[in-house]
Amino acid sequence: MASSFPTTAAPRRRLGGLLVYLRTMGLFVAAWFIVALNVPNKLLLPSPVDVALALRDSAMDGELFDNAAVSVVRLFVSVVAAAVVAVPLGLAMGRSRLCNDLFEVPVELLRPIAGIAWIPLALFIFGIGHRLPLFIMFYTAFFPLLIGTAAGARTVDERLVAAARTMGVPEHTIMRRVIVPAALPSILVSARLAVAASWTAVVAAELVGAPSGLGYAIEYYRSMLSTPSVMAFIAIIGLCGFLTDRALRRLGAVLTPWAQTEQAR
Amino acid sequence: MKRLMLRLLVPALTLVVWEIAASGSARAPRPSTVMQTAVRMIANGDLLFGLATSLGRVFAGFALASAVAVPLGIAMGSIGALEKNLDPLVETFRPIAAIAILPLVILWLGTGSMSAVTIVAYAAFFPVLINTIAGVKRVEPNLLRAAYSMGVPPMTRMRVVLLPAALPAILVGMRIGLGLAWTAIIAAELAVGAKAGSSGGIGQMMFVFYAYSVELNGIVVCMVAVGIVALILDRVLRELLARAVPWSRA
Repeated sequence: MASSFPTTAAPRRRLGGLLVYLRTMGLFVAAWFIVALNVPNKLLLPSPVDVALALRDSAMDGELFDNAAVSVVRLFVSVVAAAVVAVPLGLAMGRSRLCNDLFEVPVELLRPIAGIAWIPLALFIFGIGHRLPLFIMFYTAFFPLLIGTAAGARTVDERLVAAARTMGVPEHTIMRRVIVPAALPSILVSARLAVAASWTAVVAAELVGAPSGLGYAIEYYRSMLSTPSVMAFIAIIGLCGFLTDRALRRLGAVLTPWAQTEQAR
Repeated sequence: MKRLMLRLLVPALTLVVWEIAASGSARAPRPSTVMQTAVRMIANGDLLFGLATSLGRVFAGFALASAVAVPLGIAMGSIGALEKNLDPLVETFRPIAAIAILPLVILWLGTGSMSAVTIVAYAAFFPVLINTIAGVKRVEPNLLRAAYSMGVPPMTRMRVVLLPAALPAILVGMRIGLGLAWTAIIAAELAVGAKAGSSGGIGQMMFVFYAYSVELNGIVVCMVAVGIVALILDRVLRELLARAVPWSRA
């Protein structure tokens, strides 16, 4: 988390890091180029130039942006919806033994069933369209958020809660001013896990059963045997995943500046 | 006793409501029909065969990933220059979900076991690598210095000092990687089953139930089986972790 606290050496270090990045990736692309020259079948391994051209073409006609926007909006909607349910439930489970007893067993029974395993059944229930990927992503994002929130609420320093109670702070204010801020770092870490997991799930869900989105696009171009476009869209999937993770890290640094020590990757 | 009943209240209630709500339709799966299907699928061996096929691929891919990721991670964790120069590659490819490269892998390797194993290896590779690097970097440097100053040769140093100290992190990475690998195999088999060919495995079984025989009970049985296997894999690795490295409370 070197970027959280800029020091005088930070800009130079960042520039150095960028140079190393460009050098390594330059070597990688050069190696790819040479290997591609020696693969006679362009369908199997197109050269980086072909991929860059395919990327430019789909960016120019707006198809790239449209599909990426569809997938990212789906990600956003389903993760927010999952958080709206999971965070309050997690807080309740972390703070009340009754809630924990009621919901722990169903959660532990459902959690091991991967969201992706719901795809066939969800295809029956929802059909092909928006609702299938939304459901799969909601489900995938739900459990990390719930577990993380409950763990965060459970490990709040009890002396803080006791101090607030002693001073006559009402219970709902304790929840809002003591427990939520204390659990927030843990909630944000689990949000990053949730986003990463549902980004994987959206690609799978769109690959099998959605008429739009990045997953659909790579599957479409595979059936068209247009390998450069497949690779271009794979790169975009990686880029979107990387950018959403960066955005969440930044959000964590802004919301919980006190908890920016070494975070689990 | 009262507490146990409380804990089982929600699942029991859900099953009862599900049974009643679904009893109107002949095709909708119900707990009772799912049980019958499960008994049939276990008795004729279909379920176990599908699970064994998928598990075989998971272990093959996972072993492949670990065989590369653990040595590479140890090297990257102990040699700063290597980590600095390879980190861009890791950070570039890590956000790309294993499922996203599936179309490419199908193109290269077809729809058989090789594709599935490759996807699994890709999915498991990054968690193992990253945790290995982190584990090696977190080894107490004084331990290494002490061994160095006492003239312990490099290979022995690695075996006796570095590996035991990094092992808890490596095993945590393996546990995460194996969980992701199991998810990835389901997705890969589903997607491969959705496209063409016969590849077998639990994921494809689900797709066949979905697309050809329209057997919703079978799908639910497969889902539960997937969950149980995921749980067992996780428990086994946790147990392994506790046995292999009793000094760690990971």
